[in-house]
Amino acid sequence: MIEFVLNGRQVRFSGNPLTRLIDVLREDFGLTGTKEGCGEGECGACSVLRNGKLTTSCLIPVGAVCGDEIVTIEGLRETEQGKCLIDCFAEAGAVQCGFCIPGMVMAAQALLLCNSHPDEDDVRLAISGNICRCTGYDLIVDAIIMASEKGAGLW
Amino acid sequence: MVEKCFIPTSLAEALEIRKETKARPLAGGTDLMVQYKQGQGITPVFPWPVMIISSIGELRGIEKGEDGSVLIRALTTPYEIANCQDVPYPVREAASRMGAVALRNSATIGGNIGNASPKGDLPQPLILLDATVVLKSLDGDREVLLDDFILGSKKTDLRDDEIIYAVRIPKVEYTHVFYRKIGTRRANAISKLSLSCLIRVEDGAVTDFRASSGAAGPKVIRSRETEAILKGRRLEDVKSLIPEVLDGWNRAISPHAMPEYRRNTTRRMLEHFLLESVSASSECIIH
Ligand SMILES: Cc1cc2nc3c(=O)[nH]c(=O)nc-3n(C[C@H](O)[C@H](O)[C@H](O)COP(=O)(O)OP(=O)(O)OC[C@H]3O[C@@H](n4cnc5c(N)ncnc54)[C@H](O)[C@@H]3O)c2cc1C
Ligand code: FES
Ligand code: FES
Repeated sequence: MIEFVLNGRQVRFSGNPLTRLIDVLREDFGLTGTKEGCGEGECGACSVLRNGKLTTSCLIPVGAVCGDEIVTIEGLRETEQGKCLIDCFAEAGAVQCGFCIPGMVMAAQALLLCNSHPDEDDVRLAISGNICRCTGYDLIVDAIIMASEKGAGLW
Repeated sequence: MVEKCFIPTSLAEALEIRKETKARPLAGGTDLMVQYKQGQGITPVFPWPVMIISSIGELRGIEKGEDGSVLIRALTTPYEIANCQDVPYPVREAASRMGAVALRNSATIGGNIGNASPKGDLPQPLILLDATVVLKSLDGDREVLLDDFILGSKKTDLRDDEIIYAVRIPKVEYTHVFYRKIGTRRANAISKLSLSCLIRVEDGAVTDFRASSGAAGPKVIRSRETEAILKGRRLEDVKSLIPEVLDGWNRAISPHAMPEYRRNTTRRMLEHFLLESVSASSECIIH
């Protein structure tokens, strides 16, 4: 039996411990905000927070997160920080097809948790493992900087 | 088929399982989960039993020894290595350039060594520093030079009852040091080429000089013969010896793909390091 904390709730998983975390999130817990792009750790669409740190959930077997705290976009959006990020992404016009956005928001959250006043270079480095095929990144960078300013004090 | 998967929570338990079942350790999974992936939404299938070792606390952390050596335990991530000032510069720098943010939080040093890819970034600067690998089994510990432990591309000397416990970096003194990784882009780029160098100048004489190349052959390359060209020489003689060093190094490396490009780039980096080192007035990192 594998137990971990998912979006603040203690949960259990009794299947194959080698099941990819992304599949457990999407199939067993219905958290389809986490997306699968490449399935090889290259695109960041499947990013979640594991103990506050950004992790690609396609690369990690669920058996490796025993006792860990996992936060997905569904958990983050319920928080003040998550709301601020999502509002700023909308306001900056940073979303086109939206596929990369949950991963981008998680990457932004991971950044702001350790650096609440990032500059543009910090932001670009923080999302460098997240691929967006639509926006060209500039508006996403703007959104994250906007969140760090509007949400001052939240992080 | 559901193959066997174990999740030991202590090192002792892991060593028992390893001895009994030969289960292979899965640490970060960033190599294994890709190598054995079955496709979207499908659980990877491994041809052997697996043990997930990520919850073994005894395999975590970095410790500085009284003799100035640094012990980096197997589950330490590139993020942790890059942010620990006790770790020598070229290893920190290599760790900070692996993958992207998420990869640096998941990958482990034990996995980077266990995978033994010629493109793995950590062995190269570790071998420059004569690092050793500490291996544990129920029969006891053994400690071997990392350069000897990695036998070739994807081949190590790991016994099937052993686990990589840690990497030990001995204290190495240098006055000038260099690390460069060349990849296709800044994030999630596998090394095309990498080079570390260090030199120690004391009272106007070179007392140590080393270089190591990654991704320029089946394993990391050092050349004691080439390093000896500069050792013991006066600093003012180094410039005239550079061509000899470059030729020696060029003979030592054996790049497989794009050999011209790799040879020329390596040559230019090594020359740059040596020229900058002889003209630098004090200890420094050469960029
Ligand atoms: C998107 C992406 C980008 C990458 N970028 C880089 C990069 O820039 N540079 C780089 O070097 N690599 C890179 N890699 C490769 C990989 O992340 C590294 O090799 C990593 O260090 C592997 O560590 P791991 O713990 O995830 O390995 P795992 O997949 O868990 O294991 C790898 C191998 O090591 C063995 N092993 C692991 N731990 C132990 C142990 N304690 N004792 C004995 N054997 C052990 C396993 O059995 C397996 O054979 C990248 C991978 C991905 C997916
Ligand atoms: S789906 Fe996980 S990184 Fe692309
Ligand atoms: S908005 Fe479409 S991939 Fe980023």
